[in-house]
Amino acid sequence: MERSEGNIKKKNPVLECRNVGRSFDSYDGKGKNEVLRGMNFEVYENEFLVLFGAGQCGKTTLLNILAGLDMPTEGEVYANGEKVSGPAPERGFVYQKTSLFPWMTVEDNVGFGPKVRHLPEKECKERIRKYLDLVGLTGFEKSYPSQLSGGMRQRVGIARAYANEPDIMFMDEPFGHLDAQTRYMMEEELQRIWQQEKRTVIFVTNNIEEALFLADRIILLTNCPTHIKQEYSITMQRPRDYVDPEFLRLRQLITDNMDLTL
Amino acid sequence: MKKHKYTVISVCSFLIVLIIWQLVTDVFHLVSPIMLPSPTTILKTFWYKLTGGTVPDGSSLIQNILSSLKIALGGYVVGVVIGVPLGIGMAWSRRFELFAKPLFDIIRPVPALAWIPLMILWLGIGYASKVGIIFFAAFISATVNSYTGIRQTSQVHLWVGKTFGATNRQLLFKVALPTALPMIFTGLRLALGSAWVALVAAEMLAATSGLGYMIQISRLLGRPDVIIVGMITIGFVGLLLNTVLEQLQKRFVRRGKKHD
Amino acid sequence: MIDSTTNSRFTNKQLIIIYTIISLVCLLIVWELVARFTSASMFLPPASEVLTAFFRSFAEPIGQHTMLFHVGISLYRVAVAFLFATVIGIALGVGMGYSRLFEAIFKPLFEFIRPIPPLAWIPLSILWFGLSDTGKFFIIFLGCFCFITVNTYDGAKNVDPELMGAARMLGANERQVFFKIVLPSSVPYIFAGLQIAVTAGWSAVVGAEMIQSNEGVGWVIIRGMSTGNTVQIMVGIVAIGIVGFILANLTSALERRLCAWNAQKGI
Repeated sequence: MERSEGNIKKKNPVLECRNVGRSFDSYDGKGKNEVLRGMNFEVYENEFLVLFGAGQCGKTTLLNILAGLDMPTEGEVYANGEKVSGPAPERGFVYQKTSLFPWMTVEDNVGFGPKVRHLPEKECKERIRKYLDLVGLTGFEKSYPSQLSGGMRQRVGIARAYANEPDIMFMDEPFGHLDAQTRYMMEEELQRIWQQEKRTVIFVTNNIEEALFLADRIILLTNCPTHIKQEYSITMQRPRDYVDPEFLRLRQLITDNMDLTL
Repeated sequence: MKKHKYTVISVCSFLIVLIIWQLVTDVFHLVSPIMLPSPTTILKTFWYKLTGGTVPDGSSLIQNILSSLKIALGGYVVGVVIGVPLGIGMAWSRRFELFAKPLFDIIRPVPALAWIPLMILWLGIGYASKVGIIFFAAFISATVNSYTGIRQTSQVHLWVGKTFGATNRQLLFKVALPTALPMIFTGLRLALGSAWVALVAAEMLAATSGLGYMIQISRLLGRPDVIIVGMITIGFVGLLLNTVLEQLQKRFVRRGKKHD
Repeated sequence: MIDSTTNSRFTNKQLIIIYTIISLVCLLIVWELVARFTSASMFLPPASEVLTAFFRSFAEPIGQHTMLFHVGISLYRVAVAFLFATVIGIALGVGMGYSRLFEAIFKPLFEFIRPIPPLAWIPLSILWFGLSDTGKFFIIFLGCFCFITVNTYDGAKNVDPELMGAARMLGANERQVFFKIVLPSSVPYIFAGLQIAVTAGWSAVVGAEMIQSNEGVGWVIIRGMSTGNTVQIMVGIVAIGIVGFILANLTSALERRLCAWNAQKGI
């Protein structure tokens, strides 16, 4: 159950991370700050992959590189066999701060992707309706983001990413700013949404319960520079129970393996 | 490297404008020198005025600057000394605000320049009338910003102060004023800017020296080169005053955050 | 204290209105008394005289025209110049904020012009345009333009990069990012600029008309000065103040309408 390699179905990967590293110029401009080193992994179709690690390790940097928002200084990322060289609508992104466009209504936010890609008007409308329904926000079409609660905003963020019908969804600690109750609820909601509309999801979090609750597979990252410490494939039946003995055992196992030095 | 590239472009863009300017004036004579003198003429005039030349307005550039500064700073100091306490008072005392704010709100929308005729009629065309005009310009910015600054005090901070038994006076001096300080400084800067602008207008209408007078009289005498020298000097001195206050602000307001 | 616990019999709004009336009445009474019974009457006309003259000025002409015409012509000058300043200022500001190249080309020139007060251009503008309205448009334009440009530039520089990233991620091209993200997210900044600009424009028209004009509110007061007519100056100042007040509040009302999405609001 824990050790992964043999376990995963050997289909063609939808995303491949090949020896990816990323350094930034340090503040004085002389040295280099290495953030990521030697990242190698694959992501398979309709898999829910969680990148899990503590604190400010390079999780977001890694996610940005996978999504094409940032370029690695070493190695390459391939999506469906093609090298990733920039952002593309085939890859959807859900942000921690939601990053909704504050001057647009909920429906304009959700419809943004289809509209900028010049899909037919009817198709845009249909998608707005479908995905607002999927996240349970029918009736809030004309609201502005500032009028919504944090959880609702994050639902809009998810619907906006879904509306482009991407192959892969990237989620950067989407529930990090929510209070604990809303967070549990949103985790369940996300699981429902994902089971209803299967997508490949790469999800970043620093919360072990969230990781275990959602993941098909967890990649444990460590700090400075960030690299892969361990992989776990999680085969517990969904929906999972936070106090199930197996859940608790895995939780202990992974937490023990975490590198807590910063 | 990239940063370098943009600096080069900036310098080039500036140079190209100067070169075109020089070409249309002195080289190809497309524009009459009465309308627009060439950059080299302006430079020569600038040097002449700077080194003590008194033609055509009767004073050298330095004399004009000093004369303008004397008036601007005079009105500015009066405006600030009255405006800042007034703003603080209105924001701190409810009763004072109820009474004083309507009066202030009547004066506020009147541009400082509109007071010029009244001031000249009342106080003549000497030092006092110009100080009066500049007073209005500085006074309004100083008051508004002090008022807003105090109003930004967080209610929670005041409650904390009260819980620890601070008196009203202590709350004002230890909580509200430190909160307002960056805003007040911004007000002082804006006030100096408005004072300088108002000064130019005042000197153009009624003066016998100063930068405003210099550009106005140069128009009557058909000396556009002196006008442009005057304009650039006015802009430069204004910028310099602003920079001085900015540095002071940096020194006195240490809490990193910028309030603009 | 910043508390609002003074009087429980009235609401806050009623209290403000009551005190406003009291303080204005006090002002008028003191003014009237000082002007009638002290030596200040030499140069200070009584309030009643100024107010009657103000109302009369709508029917009887000052110079060749009534007050409404003077206010109208000044407003017209501001409007024309303001329109030009808005279009050019927004274009220049957004351009400089969005494109590094555009910024590198235009910013030094702009920074060179910016510190020069608009009224300092009057002598040159008279040389260039004579005493025509074009010269006044030019001065007022300069008065508005800098504020609009600076604020728009700030707005375009401060666009949340994550919003731009989100838009690109959703498939927007550079043109769409510019028009759908950079421009709308600068709107609150642009409005702040417009608000300052309209006040500055009003101030500039007064200044410009004082120095070179045959009509308009600035002319009214400067004419009052040269004929020693204090009442006329004060009537002019009242008109200038009222219009200035309306202009300042008009823009903030407009902003509240158009930027309903922008929850955080300044003073």
